[in-house]
Amino acid sequence: METKQPGVVSSARKPCLTGSVRKLKNIAADLHNFIFKWERLNDEGFSIASQIVNLEISKRSEKKSHIKLDCENRVNIEHSENEAELDSDMEDGCTALLAILGKMTHLVSKMEKMSCCTKGICALHTYQEGPSGTQSLLFQTWPVTHFDDISSKLFDAYKQELALKQIVVNEIAHISDPNLSLVFLSSWLYQPYIEDINKVLLESLLLETGHRMLT
Amino acid sequence: MSKSEFLSLHQALKRSFQNLEQNQKLWNGMLAECSPLMVSLGNLAEQLHALQNVQLERTPLKGFPDLRERLRFKLLQAVDTVMEKLYEKMAALQAVRDAVSNQAAAVFQLYTQHADALDMATCLQRSATCPSVADMLEWLQDAERHYQWELLKRKALLQMLKPGDLAYLQTSPKRWESLSNRGRDDIITETLCRVALFRESQ
Repeated sequence: METKQPGVVSSARKPCLTGSVRKLKNIAADLHNFIFKWERLNDEGFSIASQIVNLEISKRSEKKSHIKLDCENRVNIEHSENEAELDSDMEDGCTALLAILGKMTHLVSKMEKMSCCTKGICALHTYQEGPSGTQSLLFQTWPVTHFDDISSKLFDAYKQELALKQIVVNEIAHISDPNLSLVFLSSWLYQPYIEDINKVLLESLLLETGHRMLT
Repeated sequence: MSKSEFLSLHQALKRSFQNLEQNQKLWNGMLAECSPLMVSLGNLAEQLHALQNVQLERTPLKGFPDLRERLRFKLLQAVDTVMEKLYEKMAALQAVRDAVSNQAAAVFQLYTQHADALDMATCLQRSATCPSVADMLEWLQDAERHYQWELLKRKALLQMLKPGDLAYLQTSPKRWESLSNRGRDDIITETLCRVALFRESQ
C-alpha cells in the first residue's frame, strides 16, 4: 500500500526523500530558534556592555579625584575602596559578557552544523536526481540548492557578527576614548553584519517549509 | 432675547469645553510619548558623531574594513525609524488641533445663526457661576490658536532635522523640551477651571 506524503517521489527507481524533507523542516525551525536566542543574548549583552563602559568612566573620574586629594590619607583610603569596588563590578560585568559571548559562539557553531547538514542534503539530492538535472520539489517552489544558499548566508552573517562581538568583549573594558566606547556599544547593539535581508531569508525559509502560513 | 437660542448656544459651549478637556488629555499624552523618541534621536546622533570622530583603522576594529559604512547605515536606519514614529505622533497632534478647531468653528457658526436673536447685553452678561458668551467664545478661539501654534513649532523643529546635521540632531531633545512652555499650556487648564461651574450647571 502506497502512502502519499509530502516530498515522497512515488517512483520505483528513485528513493524516498521523506527524511530530507523532515530534516530540512527541522533545520528551518532550529535556525529560527537559534536566531531568536541570539537576539535575546544580544539585548542582555548590550546592558552589560553599557554598564562596563559606565564603570570605566566612573573609574577614570575616581582616579582623577584620587590624584587631587592625595595629601589627605583618610580620603585616600575611601577612594581606593571605591576604585576596588568599581574594579570588582567591572570584573563581574566582563565575566557575564564573556558568558554571553560563549553562548553566542555555541549558537553559531550549531548554525554551522545546520549549514553543513543542508549542504549534505543538497549534495545527496543532486546525486539522486542524476545527470538529467530535473529536480523535484521538496516543498513549495524552491530547488534544494536554495536551502543550502540560505543556510550558508545566515551562517556567514552570524559568524562575521560573532567575530566583531569577540573584539568588543576583549577590548571594551580597556578603552579610554569615550567616542570609541560608544562605537563599540553601537557595534554590539546594531549588529552591522546582520542585514535586514537575513530576516527576509529566514522568514522565506519558514514559509517554504510550512512553519509559517501564507495569509 | 430668545431663550431657546441662548440655551442651545450654552449647550454647544458645554460640549465644546468637554471636548477641549478630552483633547487636552490626548495632546498631553501624545507629547509625553514624543519625549523618549526625541531622546533616542539625540542618542543616535551622538553615536553617529562618535563614529565620525573615530579612526577605526587605528583601533582593535581595524580588522573590519567595511564596519564604518555598515554601522553608519544601521544608525541612519534607526534614525529613520524614530523619525517615522515622530511623524505619526505629529499626525495625532494635528488631529487634536483639527478637533479643537472644528469645535470652535461649529460653536461660532451656531452663534452666527442666532446672532440676530442675541443682543450685546445678553452676550456680555456674566455671573459668578457662568461666564459670558463672549468670553467663552474668546477662550475657545484662544484654545484653537494655542494648539495651532504648538503644532507649528514642533512641525518646524522636526522639518529642520537632517541626518547630515549631527550637531542639530544632538541638541534636538533639548530644543524639543524647550518648546514645552509651561505657561502657555496653562491657558487650557485655566480655561477649563473658569468654565468648571458653568459645565456643571443645569
